[in-house]
Amino acid sequence: MNNLKGIPITMAGGDDELALSFNADPLLHEIASLLCDLVESGKSSSIDLRSLPLLPGDYGKLKDVLGQGEVSATLEALGATHVRETAIHGVWWVTHYNSDETVVAEFIEVTTIPDILRTHPADARVGLDRLRSRLSLAAGTDNGDGDA
Amino acid sequence: METAMPDDQTLSEILARRGVSRRAFLKFCASLATLMAMPPAMAAEMAETLAKLKRQSVIWLSFQECTGCTESITRSHSPTLESLIFDAISLDYHHTLQAASGTAAEAAREQAMKDNYGKYLVVVDGSVPMKDGGVYSTIAGVSNHDMLVETAKGAAAIIAVGTCAAYGGIPRANPNPTGAVAVSDIIKDKPIINVPGCPPIPVVMTGVMAHLLTLGTTPVLDELGRPKVFFGDTIHDRCYRRPFYDQGKFAKRFDDEGARNGWCLFELGCKGPTTHNACATTKWNGGVSFPIESGHGCLGCSEPDFWDAGSFYTSLSMPADPLKYTAAAALAGAAVGVAVSFVNRARKDEAKTAHQTATLADLRK
Repeated sequence: MNNLKGIPITMAGGDDELALSFNADPLLHEIASLLCDLVESGKSSSIDLRSLPLLPGDYGKLKDVLGQGEVSATLEALGATHVRETAIHGVWWVTHYNSDETVVAEFIEVTTIPDILRTHPADARVGLDRLRSRLSLAAGTDNGDGDA
Repeated sequence: METAMPDDQTLSEILARRGVSRRAFLKFCASLATLMAMPPAMAAEMAETLAKLKRQSVIWLSFQECTGCTESITRSHSPTLESLIFDAISLDYHHTLQAASGTAAEAAREQAMKDNYGKYLVVVDGSVPMKDGGVYSTIAGVSNHDMLVETAKGAAAIIAVGTCAAYGGIPRANPNPTGAVAVSDIIKDKPIINVPGCPPIPVVMTGVMAHLLTLGTTPVLDELGRPKVFFGDTIHDRCYRRPFYDQGKFAKRFDDEGARNGWCLFELGCKGPTTHNACATTKWNGGVSFPIESGHGCLGCSEPDFWDAGSFYTSLSMPADPLKYTAAAALAGAAVGVAVSFVNRARKDEAKTAHQTATLADLRK
């Protein structure tokens, strides 16, 4: 299933105007409106790119207009997730892949930072316990190799 | 299902033991919440609730079915995001999946009902035969009807999975030899959520379960008992080929220029415009594609009586009246039917010999 790209069938007109559904422009206006909400009230929102009829040309247009910003993060959690801030601050492009490297979900997130990058308070607690136990182990073997 | 996990553990504890991180779980909830048209804040809330949840008892009843629904849900992509939801439930009875058989299996069902009376979920796949006292499908000598009625009594809610359980499906197709009916034809006093499809999309099944588990309510349903979040739009509404429909660009045959260009399959009988389902957005096989993306029109499998709704290759714009066809065939008589089939076969042979292109009319024979 992860080698579908190897099958040499593509939709004709993939690069020309046929590949435009003309949904990119309304979508960009929606992003502007959501960004306005973020600026004025701090409200975060997201758009599921896979729930809209978008053709390759539309994706190209979205990427051209939004551009690439300074932040790019990849996390490994049941497959990779790529999180990129676009050149439009506050607009993030989040792509979730499964372990077969197939896209399972793709969002435009309009937020100061996507939730998936934050550390959950309960995980921070687990982290604290882990570090303390490593420190106590290290203290116990102070004259040894010290590696917990 | 056989499990070494104690039932009093929360989902997050179970997942942590399996090495599934909170971010992985949030990823799962984010895709679910968006599928269910919930705001992003809801995803985090959903993840919190689900993570704290104790395992919910589920009794899965398989009646007149082909096990395709179970195949669909258990063979979703790996390591399955969808399968995470199965860590949130205790599947106490399922013919195909459980290790126990015979008396021990039935005892497991009875025990689960007793321990969780009023709280367990019942999932049904398959229709229920009513003709001749329900003899056409029995389990441990009990008719499907009687087992459904008995098990439904203590259920919090019932999920009718697949078109057979939801609307009778293929067993109910003309001439319906077993008198098959849907779950909702029998059970009237419990919330029933229909998740049709032949089979249903795995994430739609898990989404409905996640909704029940996190919010404790049934999702908003349409007039056919389907969750609106998944069945609110038609395939056509969300189809990536929709722009070609709007531009009037149609494939006329499966091997023509239009088909190669990926144009709209409406004229080749696609039932997308009258079919409510989420295939065009969630897709199949881990998001690889859906039937239209593979070049074949939608069959309309999540709609009632889809099997009797005329040819799969007749355009929706052509009048189709299956009842009229049936009546005409009955009047014409068997002898004529046989003659027609000989003529058709002869024509197909002719076409084969002459290397003629098969037309839509040939496909309908």
